[in-house]
Amino acid sequence: MEGVLSQLALGFVHVFAPANLIALVVGLLAGLLVAVLPGLTLVMGVVLALPFTYKMDVTAAIILLTAMYVSGTYAGAWTSILFRVPGEPIDVPLLWDGYTMARKGQAPQALGWTLLAALFGGLLAATVMVALSHPIAKIALTFSTPEYFAIIFFGLASVVSLGGSSLANALISLFIGLLIATVGVDDTYGAHRFTFGVPILTDGIDYLVVMVGAFGLGEVFSRLDYGFRTAPLETVGTVKTKLPQWRDIAATKASFIRSGVLGVLIGIVPGAGATVASFLSYGVESQYGKRKAEMGRGIPEGIIAPQTAATSSVGGAMIPLITMGIPGSGATAIILGAFLLHGLQPGPQVFQTSSDLVYAVFASLFVAVIGMCLIGYFAAKVIVRVLEFPEVIVSAYVVMCCVLGAFAARNNITDVWLLVVFGVLGYLAERLRFPVPPLVLGVILGPLAEQNFMTTMISFNNDWTVFFTRPVSGPIMAIGVFTLIYPIIRHLRQRAGRPATRHAGRN
Amino acid sequence: MVDAARLKPTVPYVLLGAAAGYLYYVAAHFDYHRREGVLGPDFWPKLVLILVIVTCVYEVAKRLVLGARKEEVGGVLGELVEESARAHGDTALAVPVEHHPWLLVAGMALSVAYVAVIQTLGFFSATVPYIALFIALGGYRRWGVIAAVSLIGALALMFFFMKIVYVSLPIGREPFDQVMLALMQIMAIR
Repeated sequence: MEGVLSQLALGFVHVFAPANLIALVVGLLAGLLVAVLPGLTLVMGVVLALPFTYKMDVTAAIILLTAMYVSGTYAGAWTSILFRVPGEPIDVPLLWDGYTMARKGQAPQALGWTLLAALFGGLLAATVMVALSHPIAKIALTFSTPEYFAIIFFGLASVVSLGGSSLANALISLFIGLLIATVGVDDTYGAHRFTFGVPILTDGIDYLVVMVGAFGLGEVFSRLDYGFRTAPLETVGTVKTKLPQWRDIAATKASFIRSGVLGVLIGIVPGAGATVASFLSYGVESQYGKRKAEMGRGIPEGIIAPQTAATSSVGGAMIPLITMGIPGSGATAIILGAFLLHGLQPGPQVFQTSSDLVYAVFASLFVAVIGMCLIGYFAAKVIVRVLEFPEVIVSAYVVMCCVLGAFAARNNITDVWLLVVFGVLGYLAERLRFPVPPLVLGVILGPLAEQNFMTTMISFNNDWTVFFTRPVSGPIMAIGVFTLIYPIIRHLRQRAGRPATRHAGRN
Repeated sequence: MVDAARLKPTVPYVLLGAAAGYLYYVAAHFDYHRREGVLGPDFWPKLVLILVIVTCVYEVAKRLVLGARKEEVGGVLGELVEESARAHGDTALAVPVEHHPWLLVAGMALSVAYVAVIQTLGFFSATVPYIALFIALGGYRRWGVIAAVSLIGALALMFFFMKIVYVSLPIGREPFDQVMLALMQIMAIR
């Protein structure tokens, strides 16, 4: 533990180096703006920031993206509470009590509870992240290829199981992603796979192009389809933050702790993330909270639960990313991309090869959480004004960032053509209800999954049962299979519990 | 006889399944030196393609037999969000229903045209009209703002990416390259 603390102290020294500190502040501001700006989602924002980090030092790049990620879970609350405009699903539960409080003339108090919840959730998650990462990484070091394949399988299974409105569509998205990852020259045999004589395809399809196209350009196309129509904003008198009294905080401490722990745990589950954390935590508070009967009527617990869990899920999601190289959410998938762009593969070995970087990232989360709350306290009034910015102008610049991001990766115009292809694919996916995150994670984790699968097959004489019979990979595979079939079980149970009148009504 | 209402939703799955079938054929003809008892580079893509085909066949069969999408097995997150929003009578998550297909097609065509001409016109000469047209297409009509946003934006992006990030953006072909070369000289970009 002493070693961890001394490394963390060194991490703080790195964070306060001028370049890293500037990256952190820029990341915080960008994350806050992204969460407030119309037409930009948190994941999109992190995707668009990625090209700007190409030439940065890897530590500064990861700090910037992590700061964006954490602050992006916070600022959306302001627009939910003040204007009833949730930036993305994370912020929807904040409407139920936060906006209700604002309508009762308690907007400053609601913003104060939001700030405190984000602060507590962020710091708790950062502490848990520091405490758990090294032990988990030590365990992960003993893993062999079957275990790694099992973990990736579990990660992909949970992304499929959680996301989207159709399990089959999520599976198809994932398979398309895995297939895109196979394009190019195979490492072992040198065979050309799906290159169709196109020279640039021999190097494979850059996952960055897929991410930027599907998340960024695809989203812009969707907004074009909806005609950039956003709801008119309500007028708000003042944007002030009033922090709660100590006795009020003491009275709600159980909600803080419950939501914080839940957020971290949900963040750790690959494929879950801030949205699941926010909704589930609100649900748990409504079921078990001291004032459960008053939830939805504008009480602090209705703000504490979703906001604490959403922010604490960030630290949770960083744990599988840093210790095993498995992203726990859409944003961490992009942070994984940033690691890979700089030639670093996250996983247990990074604690030995790049411990300075790891602890600088850990320390940066503490600083980022405090920094974002300070900015929120003093600058929320200024930042929410960007909500008035025309969405179509934001979208035009989103396209520009997408184009430049794709072009800059390999200085090749073919990548920009591929970007347009994946933009259209991303739009069609959303239109036809095929979720995009499984596709993107499939592209990122596909090569790792294939490599670990093939190596296992070679090492164990093509005996695929080894994945299920080894003491560590077996249970993980079993959990993965259960995760995959859980939505079906849930569906069947719901159907069995439904009154027969429904069927009668459909005829 | 299956009615059109049931056939229409199967189209994406039929197309995907057919594409997967073709790609399976391509994968079966990968050129490599086979080794006895060792899985080749075609194994993984073939496995994935079989899974795509199986899922598509299942979806087509389900839609033809059951028809409606109401009984679909949903992802846990999607259902969680929908149920919670419904429980609170919240419409904030409701997807806008009004589509603008021509706007979409025009936006896509504009983006394709931009990519097509950027190497000929150069980054600046292609980007300024692209940003301006995109914003106008989106229904924004304050022309002064459009002009300022597109000009200043293109210059700022050019400066950042060429001067700070050292990305060599397309200069264009003669005679259009003169614009970029002049701007690069002004910005002291080498």
